[in-house]
Amino acid sequence: MLIFDQLKRNDPPLRWLAAVVLGGLGVLLAGLWWVQIVQGREHQTRVENQTFRTVRVPAVRGKILDRHGRVLAESRPAYNISLYLEDLSGAFKDAYRRLRPVVTVTNDGPFWKRWLGAGQTRVRPARLKRAEVQELEWRARYQVAGQIVTQLAAQLEMPELTFNPEEFRRHYVNRRALPWPLVRGATPQQVARFLEQNGGGPALDLEVLPLRVYPLGETAAHVLGHLTRDDRSAEGELADYFYRLPDYRGVLGVEGGFDAVLRGRAGAKAVVVNHLGYRQDEHVWQPAEPGRNVVLTLDARVQQAAERALRRRVGPEARGAVVVMHVQTGDVLALVSSPAFDPNRFIPQIGLEDYARLNDPVLRPQINRATQENYAPGSIFKTVVGLACLGAGLNPDEKIFNPGHIYIGRRYIHDTAPAGDYDFRRALLRSSNTYFITNGLRCGVTRILELGRRLHLGERFELPTRQETAGFFPTPRTVSRGWFDGDTANLCIGQGRIAVTPLQMAVMTAAFANGGTVLWPRLVARIEPQDPLSEEPALEFPARRVRDHLGVPERHLTILREAMLADTEDPEGTAWAAFRDYYRQPGALRVCGKTGTAQVTDPHNRVIGRNLWFIAFAPYESPRYAVVVLVEGNGSGGTTCAPVARDIFEALQKIETAPPPGATLTSIP
Amino acid sequence: MTSNALAQVTFETPLRVRRRELDRPQIAAVLGLVTFGALFVWSATHAGDAGSGLAWFEWRWVRQCVWYALGAAAAVAVCAVDYRTLARWSYVAYWLAMLLLGLVLVPGIGTSHGWGALRWIDLGPVQFQPSEFAKLAFILAAANYLSRPPEELRQARVFWTGIGLMVLPFGLILKEPDLGSALVLLPTGLAMMFVAGAPRKYLFRLVGGVGALAALLLVDVLFAPPGWRIKLEEYQRDRLLVYFGRDFTSLAPPNATAAELERLRERQRDRSYNVRQASIAVGSGGLTGKGLGRGTQKALGFLPPSVAHNDFIFSVLAEETGFVGSVSVLALYAVVLFTGLRTAGQARDRLGRLLAVGVVTLLFSQVFINIGMNIRLMPVTGVPLPLLSYGGSSVLGSLIAIGILQNVYLRRKG
Repeated sequence: MLIFDQLKRNDPPLRWLAAVVLGGLGVLLAGLWWVQIVQGREHQTRVENQTFRTVRVPAVRGKILDRHGRVLAESRPAYNISLYLEDLSGAFKDAYRRLRPVVTVTNDGPFWKRWLGAGQTRVRPARLKRAEVQELEWRARYQVAGQIVTQLAAQLEMPELTFNPEEFRRHYVNRRALPWPLVRGATPQQVARFLEQNGGGPALDLEVLPLRVYPLGETAAHVLGHLTRDDRSAEGELADYFYRLPDYRGVLGVEGGFDAVLRGRAGAKAVVVNHLGYRQDEHVWQPAEPGRNVVLTLDARVQQAAERALRRRVGPEARGAVVVMHVQTGDVLALVSSPAFDPNRFIPQIGLEDYARLNDPVLRPQINRATQENYAPGSIFKTVVGLACLGAGLNPDEKIFNPGHIYIGRRYIHDTAPAGDYDFRRALLRSSNTYFITNGLRCGVTRILELGRRLHLGERFELPTRQETAGFFPTPRTVSRGWFDGDTANLCIGQGRIAVTPLQMAVMTAAFANGGTVLWPRLVARIEPQDPLSEEPALEFPARRVRDHLGVPERHLTILREAMLADTEDPEGTAWAAFRDYYRQPGALRVCGKTGTAQVTDPHNRVIGRNLWFIAFAPYESPRYAVVVLVEGNGSGGTTCAPVARDIFEALQKIETAPPPGATLTSIP
Repeated sequence: MTSNALAQVTFETPLRVRRRELDRPQIAAVLGLVTFGALFVWSATHAGDAGSGLAWFEWRWVRQCVWYALGAAAAVAVCAVDYRTLARWSYVAYWLAMLLLGLVLVPGIGTSHGWGALRWIDLGPVQFQPSEFAKLAFILAAANYLSRPPEELRQARVFWTGIGLMVLPFGLILKEPDLGSALVLLPTGLAMMFVAGAPRKYLFRLVGGVGALAALLLVDVLFAPPGWRIKLEEYQRDRLLVYFGRDFTSLAPPNATAAELERLRERQRDRSYNVRQASIAVGSGGLTGKGLGRGTQKALGFLPPSVAHNDFIFSVLAEETGFVGSVSVLALYAVVLFTGLRTAGQARDRLGRLLAVGVVTLLFSQVFINIGMNIRLMPVTGVPLPLLSYGGSSVLGSLIAIGILQNVYLRRKG
């Protein structure tokens, strides 16, 4: 063979030389093997590291819909007019060449040219220090980018659009491979004008980003919750991205509670960059999976009617809550907390003014008053006490004389009901303290506690909105120590050591209406894929999940229901005035109600405010809707809250007869 | 008739004078290398050339092909004349080359292409690099000079004249400065003297002395405090520092400020950038490479476009063809080198033998230094890869060198 022939040759110097050449080639071979085979992977990783920029692309967030498919929250395309820096690298270079200082050189050509008498002087770029070159490069970039921005501002007639060198520099240094958004959230007019004028330059283009929109504004804001800017990787995603596109995370309400469902799964794309860091190419290696839609049990029309009623009757800054619930299924049709906030304001970021209002110590728009605040129930709790007494054998027709007050030991309790004889019906519709305290003490606290336990007072519903308080209700353990008749008397009129939420009261009211079934309230009907053609099955949350039974005979409930009906229909009733003209309307629902006015005291037992209540269900004949209205403030349950409920029943009646919008699409039986 | 013709053939063949024939495997290997060269000069430059709106005849891969054709013609021309005749003109060629090397140092005649080193003579449409021809002229002259009987080489005067023949172009090329081109003269000259039969004792002492000097220089560059450093071009010092993996900041004066240290670090990044990117390119090729024209290091500009097609052409090749391709290239070089050695063994006379040895050593040194540099085995020096790197002078010089080998082979002994 050629090689070994040379090595075996009987010619020592040439043999030596052949050995050296062979050795040298062997070293190169080994070197190549080491670099390309052994370290190949490593070098490939290095190539990827310097050429790939991974970008986290958030998925399109799922919608939140009401029970009829009306959109409460959705992601709409928003247009950014953005500058693609990689298209400018040539322009940057040209501008740099123009800016670069030059020196004129004489007699610098090659000798033969000089002999020919040509090229005596010419211009040559001056030698610059590194820092000077960098400074000049920045000036060139500012010049080019500034010009484009000015042009764009003129085209779009947006004088407020000015070139900000600092922002440009930041983007250039940190996010060079991504487009630089010049106009965020361009209006349709701006987009049209931009497209009409052919984009103003090859480096400008429209960029589509999803934008979260709450089309109904403040409606159901507390249920929906809001988002906050958060680009971090969720669990199960790639952890280290080079760039992250803006993403949001739900913090409150359904947006918060169902964040994982709504968010979907962020995708990843890789941008290939050249040695200057400009984008060269990009490919998606993991498409984003869109989030799923959450369908609520809310009916937007009921929700809006309830909000309107509260606003109209109490005022725009009303501090209160309304719950409308279907008494047979437990579906929450409306869950209002006022004052509310506009979740749109949180995107892209909440302003200072909104933030200040959100943290107002009196209005406290952040808390969901329907589920998150402890309230003394006051007189509406007399319904429970009444049932307990009936269970203990109270004859509803037996009359008790009420002198207008009652003494518990030496403590004087005033009775708002006038002096006179009271049976069960009259006591409930006039809300007599004397009657219920007297009978409550007679039947004993244990029976009241038992009913409260079956109503699951003092317990959470574990709502997905995460804004919830358990309230407080005494247990046999509480009662076994340091509990006096005074405490029982307080409990009988819904004061003292008891705290409830409007939603708990709605469940209680529904139980009176539906024959004693304590239901789980249902707020979310189902989770379904965003794509209606998707094969993926929807996740249904069953309606009418029974939590407990009151264990009260039907005839006791009938007595209670009749007494509650009398509250709105008997001229003596506390809610009669509110419903008087309503009942004159044709087809008016017969409403069973109970008013309540609880005093809120500070630790020194001074009255600092009132919780006004009205609980109701209708129609009397076959109850469907339970409505609970709570307002913090002055007045009484009958004068402040009952009119709100009246408006809601009126609206419910209209909505019932009107066909549901888009019922064919997503109707819930 | 058939038997008659057969008899004629059988009788005539052994009697016929041996046919003068070319070294076909070597030509095949050179053709293979030239094909690789054309392909990868194309791969490294076509995007830039076509993009910058040059006319097709200005495209670099086209020019390279033209140079290959011219080089082939020159090689044929060199082959046509007996090397002994050529050798008679060797001193003329040598001194002419020395004159050109001298001229290139004169500013205004030599140009630097903006690189800071005066290596080229501008001839209007083409630039000419005298050092490429000086190497050949040196081989010719040295072979001629050393082809005298070995006994004469024992005389100190003859020995030192031989050394002087080598040192003169070495010094002139070093002055340009072009350390790489100068360095390849040393192994070439020494190998020729070794094969010529110059006294081993002298040669070993010489090599030992030069080696010790080089070692001292290296120690000085790498470790000496500022006051003790010998004068070197800054970039040469930096290249050595990069090669030996020294931290630039370790050479800073003790009272250096943070800004100065940062500048040094930046300089280190800049200086080691090309080699790092070259070895990333070579390594990322893996076993089979990314495919012709699909190398990202070149396309995305990480391998600077100014060097990708000449000194670092091997990186482009290795990235796109992988270990398979780079070993193929190595094998082709092996064929050229070993056929060259065979030629040396079969040469008719000492002159032919020395010529072949000179050419083989020259080609080998360049291949070793260039490929070694691409995989960080050798420090960065501007040595082109023979037959592959873009550049007229280099291609022409390499093909003429092949012509000389073929010339000697053609006229080998019986």
